[in-house]
Amino acid sequence: MLKKILFQNKVNFQFIFATLGALVGLTALCLSFQLMLDVRSFHSGEEELFGPNQIVIQKKVTKFSSLGLNSTDFTEEELNSLKQKDFITDVAPFKSVDFKVAISEVPGDGLPDFYADAFFNSIPDRFMDVETNWEWNENSEYIPIVLPRSFVMIMNYGLAQSQGFNQVSEELLMAARLNIHLKGVNKQEIKMGRVVGFSQKITSILVPESFLDYANDTYGEGNKIPPNRVFIEIKDDSYGELEDLMEEMNLDISKDAIDVVKIKTIVGVIIGIFGIAALLITLLSLMGFVQYSQLVLSKAAYETQTLLRIGYSVNSIVKTFVKQLSLIFGIITIAAIAIMLLVKIVGVNKWLDENGIHLEESSIVPTILLAIGCFALFVVANYLNVKKTVRNLGKV
Amino acid sequence: MTLELNNVLPTPLQEYPHASNSVWKNNFSIDFPKKVLLNASSGKGKSTFVNTIYGLRKDYTGFVKLDNKDISTLSLDEWVELRKNKLSVVFQDLQLFPELTVWENLILKNDLTQHQKEGRIMEMLEILGIPGKKDQVCKTLSLGQQQRVAIIRSLLQPFELLLMDEPFSHLDEENAAIALRLIVEETDKNKGGFILTSLGSHHGFQYEQELTL
Repeated sequence: MLKKILFQNKVNFQFIFATLGALVGLTALCLSFQLMLDVRSFHSGEEELFGPNQIVIQKKVTKFSSLGLNSTDFTEEELNSLKQKDFITDVAPFKSVDFKVAISEVPGDGLPDFYADAFFNSIPDRFMDVETNWEWNENSEYIPIVLPRSFVMIMNYGLAQSQGFNQVSEELLMAARLNIHLKGVNKQEIKMGRVVGFSQKITSILVPESFLDYANDTYGEGNKIPPNRVFIEIKDDSYGELEDLMEEMNLDISKDAIDVVKIKTIVGVIIGIFGIAALLITLLSLMGFVQYSQLVLSKAAYETQTLLRIGYSVNSIVKTFVKQLSLIFGIITIAAIAIMLLVKIVGVNKWLDENGIHLEESSIVPTILLAIGCFALFVVANYLNVKKTVRNLGKV
Repeated sequence: MTLELNNVLPTPLQEYPHASNSVWKNNFSIDFPKKVLLNASSGKGKSTFVNTIYGLRKDYTGFVKLDNKDISTLSLDEWVELRKNKLSVVFQDLQLFPELTVWENLILKNDLTQHQKEGRIMEMLEILGIPGKKDQVCKTLSLGQQQRVAIIRSLLQPFELLLMDEPFSHLDEENAAIALRLIVEETDKNKGGFILTSLGSHHGFQYEQELTL
């Protein structure tokens, strides 16, 4: 009965405007949030497109460096200045071996006959993009090795043809053992090695840091080798700063890595703008509802005052009001989630599919939580507003 | 319930002279249950008196106390509680819900207090001669009929003091007397009292106290 008294002029322009606004705003907000989640989980090959922004930097080789006039090494000071940059969140120089290394096949393991000079690098585990058992100690049966994927390509599609040996699959390469020739000044040894993975990101032959430290102690001359390649992790949307840094330090960065940062920056900005616009629409519609309830209450001022005069409490009136509004908000929230899913499945996903982009479905739970959060915000804001308005009416 | 007035004078009545036995600018108290008549001609402030005690008007000097509590210090929530359990009213302008039916207007109040059984409410409608109007929308009733609905509504709650502002102004003497009998019966059941304002008529009843303005 309270509802009948209070909501006599239920549907009006404000109500339709606020309802449509809330529906559009909330749908757009959920959609942009969901797309952000989907895009973050997007993988290109083995490399995460929207994972942490890890980039290998090195200095450009110029004609002066070829003549030995300037060095591509990073000095201690340069490393420190990198660490101090705001947009760089992590810095890790590549470690190198301090002695000569060569690799040859183990006869009978299926690899063609070869012997090649090589080098080893190591990087901290947190920068590895290959999931593998990356443990090594002096009792280990073999040294785990990660090769750049591009190396396998050169071998199979270039060397194999011109040198006349058989192509080697990644599986065979990982199954076969390798002889690792460690040629220090005072000590020479052959150890067993095995390829345990291929890296998309790092164009270097990688071994575990524990092995590299041990090998440098055992075979090296004790020289401290300055790094010439450094792994850095940068913040999202910092393409501009990265470009400045390249200019400043005359850096060479793989084009792929830059493209990824560029795409991330652009997509981030676009979804961000869309999200902000959706948030604004949602907040405006919230204002619309606040106005709507004020209007309804001012139209029902006599009724509200009379209810208070015959003994109805402020809370019972507020409760009737908020219950009715919550029902409307609830329908809007559920409709927004439904429309969002519909647009995503029938619209966006289909379009992406047709264009050959396969997004890994991410959970819709966070988006539903966001929608419920907006619902709660609407209910609380209107509760406070209605309570204040009813109290003001009661004072007269 | 004790009603106490200390030197109360409504702001709009400040310029007028008041008799020495007027409730205005006087100190007195009434202990209810008691049946009181406030008799005065138009414009002397009968409605002002009722609305001031009921907490709707605050434009006065002096103090009004209910059970020794200054009513100007009561919060809205305290007023609501008081109006639900101790203080009932028949407004001069009735303050019914015009869009609701007679029955809905009555049930709205009784739902809140659970004070009367539905059978008794129906009986009251019969006593006052409007049982046939039960399902009629209030705004379509005559003023006399609306007045009777407002009287019944005021009896659908427990009260220690019932304020009535010219409740019979649109009723003939016979119907007024019937209504007053019902009011007295319910007042006694509640062990409460009332203040009834009137333009001069006693409606054939012997009051325990009379006030003048």
